[in-house]
Amino acid sequence: MSQLVSIITATDPARRNQSLDAYCRQADFSALLIECAALDAFRRQSDNLYERVRALFFLYAIYRFHLPAKLPATSATLIPFAGYSRLLNRRFEEALDEFLALPVSDGIASALATAYHQLAFQTLANQVRRSVRSVRGNQWMFRIGHPADQPLRIRPELLHPGTDQTYPILRELTPVRMDLSHSGWSDIFFLGMDYPEGARVLNISIDLAVHGRDTAPRPPVEAYLRVITEPVLRLTSVDLGQTVDIRQLDEVFDFARDYLGLLKAAIIAAGIVPPGVEGSGESLAELLARTVGPGFGLEIVSSVNNIPKGSRLAVSTNLLAALIAVCMRATGQARHLTGTLSEDERRLVAARAILGEWLGGSGGGWQDSGGVWPGAKLIQGVPAQPGDPEAGISRGRLLPNHTALPIGARLQDSLVLVHGGMAQNVGPILEMVTEKYLLRSESEWLARQDAKLILDDIIAALAAGDVPRIAAATTRNFFGPLQAIIPWATNLYTETIIARVKKQFGTDFWGFWMLGGMSGGGMGFIFAPEKKAAGQTALAAIMAQTKLELQSALPFAMEPVVYDFAINEHGTRAELLTGDAALLPASYYALLVPRLLKTELTTPQRAELQKFGAACRTQPELAGMVHTLFDRLFPRPASTAGKSSLHDLLNELGFDRVAHEQIRADLKNGRIGLAQNRLAATTLIEDVRDSDVTPVTDQHRQLGLAAIRAGEAAVVSLAAGVGSRWTQGAGVVKALHPFCKLGGRHRSFLEVHHAKARRISPDLPHIVTTSYLTHRQIEAAGLPVILSPGRAVGLRLIPTVRDLRFLWEETAHQMLDEQKQKVRDSLHTALISWAQSAGEASDYTDNLPEQCLHPVGHWYEIANLLRNGVLAQRPQLRWLMLHNIDTTGADLDPALLGQHIQSGATLSFEVITRRLEDRGGGLARINGRPRLVEGLALPREEDEFALRYYNTMTTWISVDKLLAVFGLTRADLTDAAKVAAATRALAAKMPTYITLKDVKKRWGHGQEDVFPVAQFEKLWSDMTALPEVDCRFIVVPRRRGQQLKDIAQLDGWLRDGSAAYVESLCDWPA
Amino acid sequence: MKIRKAIITAAGQSQRSLPLQRLVDRDGNSKTALQIILEEAGTAGCEEICLVVCPGDEDSFRTAAGPRAAQLQFVTQPEPRGYGHALHCARAFAGDEPFLHLVSDHLYVSTGPQRCAQQLVAVASAENCAVSAVHATRETMLPYYGTVGGRRVPQRPNLYEITTVAEKPTPTEAEQTLIVPGLRAGHYLCFFGMHILTPALLGILADEVAQPANRNIQLSPALAKLADRERYLAHEVAGQRYNIGVKYGLLTAQLALALAGNDRAEVLTQLVELVATQPKP
Repeated sequence: MSQLVSIITATDPARRNQSLDAYCRQADFSALLIECAALDAFRRQSDNLYERVRALFFLYAIYRFHLPAKLPATSATLIPFAGYSRLLNRRFEEALDEFLALPVSDGIASALATAYHQLAFQTLANQVRRSVRSVRGNQWMFRIGHPADQPLRIRPELLHPGTDQTYPILRELTPVRMDLSHSGWSDIFFLGMDYPEGARVLNISIDLAVHGRDTAPRPPVEAYLRVITEPVLRLTSVDLGQTVDIRQLDEVFDFARDYLGLLKAAIIAAGIVPPGVEGSGESLAELLARTVGPGFGLEIVSSVNNIPKGSRLAVSTNLLAALIAVCMRATGQARHLTGTLSEDERRLVAARAILGEWLGGSGGGWQDSGGVWPGAKLIQGVPAQPGDPEAGISRGRLLPNHTALPIGARLQDSLVLVHGGMAQNVGPILEMVTEKYLLRSESEWLARQDAKLILDDIIAALAAGDVPRIAAATTRNFFGPLQAIIPWATNLYTETIIARVKKQFGTDFWGFWMLGGMSGGGMGFIFAPEKKAAGQTALAAIMAQTKLELQSALPFAMEPVVYDFAINEHGTRAELLTGDAALLPASYYALLVPRLLKTELTTPQRAELQKFGAACRTQPELAGMVHTLFDRLFPRPASTAGKSSLHDLLNELGFDRVAHEQIRADLKNGRIGLAQNRLAATTLIEDVRDSDVTPVTDQHRQLGLAAIRAGEAAVVSLAAGVGSRWTQGAGVVKALHPFCKLGGRHRSFLEVHHAKARRISPDLPHIVTTSYLTHRQIEAAGLPVILSPGRAVGLRLIPTVRDLRFLWEETAHQMLDEQKQKVRDSLHTALISWAQSAGEASDYTDNLPEQCLHPVGHWYEIANLLRNGVLAQRPQLRWLMLHNIDTTGADLDPALLGQHIQSGATLSFEVITRRLEDRGGGLARINGRPRLVEGLALPREEDEFALRYYNTMTTWISVDKLLAVFGLTRADLTDAAKVAAATRALAAKMPTYITLKDVKKRWGHGQEDVFPVAQFEKLWSDMTALPEVDCRFIVVPRRRGQQLKDIAQLDGWLRDGSAAYVESLCDWPA
Repeated sequence: MKIRKAIITAAGQSQRSLPLQRLVDRDGNSKTALQIILEEAGTAGCEEICLVVCPGDEDSFRTAAGPRAAQLQFVTQPEPRGYGHALHCARAFAGDEPFLHLVSDHLYVSTGPQRCAQQLVAVASAENCAVSAVHATRETMLPYYGTVGGRRVPQRPNLYEITTVAEKPTPTEAEQTLIVPGLRAGHYLCFFGMHILTPALLGILADEVAQPANRNIQLSPALAKLADRERYLAHEVAGQRYNIGVKYGLLTAQLALALAGNDRAEVLTQLVELVATQPKP
């Protein structure tokens, strides 16, 4: 029997928990291949979900981390497009069959790794979906397909209006939760279901207030429900400032159409609009008539009292739970209309919240709805028993058990809760954790055991009232197991704050506490009680200062906030507001009154406004409402500050308005666009011949060394960009992003490149090309580099519907899991409406000025070297090594430099053999000439899969020959007009590409919207298309040429030895 | 167990006139609904029948009872305090004997040789315990019925041991506590409006009535307590129940009676003719 299969199927925990890495280290290539075949056969025949999934993760890890290093030296092979296409369509089994039919190469191994990885997560997601649907109490909702089937009826207490004809209001008040420890993310559904014994979380329900803004902590989450006399669902989020009347059933399932997706998910998960009626074509009014009565509807209002997003306090899950609870109470699905819930009702609300999150295409951990329960509780995974839907499929149940815990500690007196201002997607971390646990990776598995012991320690300390011990344990947790499992749980911002607090408070700072899945957002700092107030003040200042220093390098969504909090001993509870008290939150009226006054008021509306007016006169907390309403009724003219600063910035940066108008006209007329980026369909595209590429050779190292010693060579780092993919358009300077701990501390991409240059020679010139978006910030970073400032800028445009449709409908995309795909489709429809209403191809100005501008492609960054004097001032420079900021393995290798010099070429481009993730073009013979081609220029998607080599963008440049291509000599570099004319002339030969980039717009309290905007680019690799340029192509090892484009790549990069390789190239400054 | 007595509740606000409506029974004879219900009890062997009515309704009910009026005893419910209270009012009539209980707004059509009440009495006599007639009902109808949860009695078709009773449960509650193995998905055992009950039930109701805070006494909570105290079964009878109190209820009940009786062919012919000559809407 296969050794790895026997590990998976072992009943002895010691054997079952053995790590894959330990086996693979000692196995040779052929043994690994035999194991892979055995694992694949095993996972195809096993009935046990977790055995299948673990085998899939084993296969993924072998193909991703272990097998490539042991591959015999083979030439590059192609990845079949048919397999890739099946992967995109989530037809994993068919994709695997395509890939497995071919001999294993580096590329095929990457394709297999991706396919196994995605299939593993799909299998797990399917199981969670099945479990959510089969939880008792949820099943019936999937069977209801017609309004006549609707068995829910509104409680009579809500159906009778008061004497003023206004209806009573049911209000649910729910705390949020903070977790003292999640035992190393053990609350991820998959982990709880695999290893319920290890799934343990300690969390506490708390009321919250923003320090300095609110008077006292209160349950931050509020949900309101009342009957209305129109057959509609009226949904309002007062925090997001949006209200919508839903009249059609389909709109309820259209989650991304507006900001009310969470409310819609709650209505569905509570059974008011059962999930089974989706797509039935039936009438919402009839459905409501069945539940509420003919001609009646429901109004549901949510409020989180402006608690910022990303607080790591599970605000959104608890809001979802509050909304579900209020809907369930109103329809008799809870025994009591008001008061607290019973234990079985809380469990059902939690199960429905999981369902709601799944419907909305998101997903939290199973502890997130902890605010529904009171006080402190230990939440633990439960082994599946006969009769459970999970029995025989997974080891644990979907839903955990909650056990109340005593709190002897005065946490309130010592703990300062903050929101650091960063709001990052925790999703990739959760995937990494899942994968590592199921692989039982050695150090991570040990860390998990350690995290379990820390949780026990915290429980004991909490009961004993020993706050310093809690602080010591949470600190140990953060710096120990959490970072051992996921190094990305921390960041430079968090560690700087901790260091500064420690420095300022010494032994009065007892410890740090990470909330939720990662740091930078919600965090806890524990002080000696007498220092808590000072700690709150100091933290506000320290966070503000640190954010100021790092905001160019890290994605911040908002200004940092300090909270006040109190432990909530009730959990979620409800009250029925009647008579004069039957009012919605004040901000609801601020939102709705201006709109209401434009219509003829009904008698109940008039009565309600009168009630609200009376309350404003008598209730101190509503004192400012008259001003607020007046401002809403007569809004002050919108500030023109933003627009004028954009205008000024454009003038300052030498924005070419004439060229911009030409691009707009061309875009509108369809002369340029995504479809027009492509080469003609008749273009002959072939893979290059072996003779078109050159292998790396060490023969000319001395030549390279001599050039370096003579000061003739320099590194050029392209740093004009803002890492759109890295932060989904957050607008940080990617060069300055401290992406990883190397050499003992967090290092930015630029620091890494500089350390590599230092190792080659301490005096090696290091040129960094910048743009208006990055120049000032890189200059402020103070590295001893030569800056080459950008000279061109573009203004982003609203995309055309034609391009949006082309991008989403005509190019191949990774399909998402069922529900997520629905949400994405709905979002696409909303974005197309946005483009139409905002005006296709009009200027994109509705954002911060720097988010409206764009760099115009790296071709200009090289041209700028000629224009801005950097080369003119350094006549000794003859050779440049140009590289992308995220090509972390590239350095000025003397051997490669010598090889380039020896070749006599103008440009030598480094290419690598293709892996599945290397998308975006490659090296091809276009109409018989070898050149680099961008993915967006290829006429057909499958063309790329016929190309063995991928472009790393790292280029060796012979300066004089390049100048000749521009028609210039060294002497001309001081003649600005001549250089400008030469640049324009060559630029005209370069194709202009239209691309769509994501850009974030931040608003409200930590809210972010991502918009696709159009911009144009000219790309450096198109230089290879010019017949007058002598280009060579050198095949370099992957670890030298690979790029880090996405945060999700980081963990693999660290684990496969790439990080260690990069570190070996660096000479860190003391 | 011998069942000699029957209690029929007719004191609900919506029930006061329903039993007085006239229908044509299976044999083609014109009768009031009350007469048909009394026949149901009579054929099941009940010699004494008690009608719980609102004060002042005795005369109209006596008239509507036709030939069986002599068998009847009347008890009035002095004030509307719920279904359970109405039944409690007949406690003296029941004494310490088990009894058949029917509601006055339902008519029953058996699909077998025995009438529905006969089937139920037979089961109760054999099992010597309280038995409620039930019918597997789709979850969409849950807002209209009391519902039982339990398990099948081994080797006994259509017989269930009741563990819990809930009045008009939500589907959520039903799915969590009232699922009975062996039923179709989304189906629950809902009351048929016909029970054989023991004196213990009336004792439970008396305790409820004795508590001054309890203004509204319902039957289902009392039945839930009965299930805790003594063996209490549910029997899925071979037949259909028709609630004559809902929209088109009387019409549906009439059609059901006619189609199950001697005039089936004639009624079917008329129906087909009606459909055929109906102009398109």
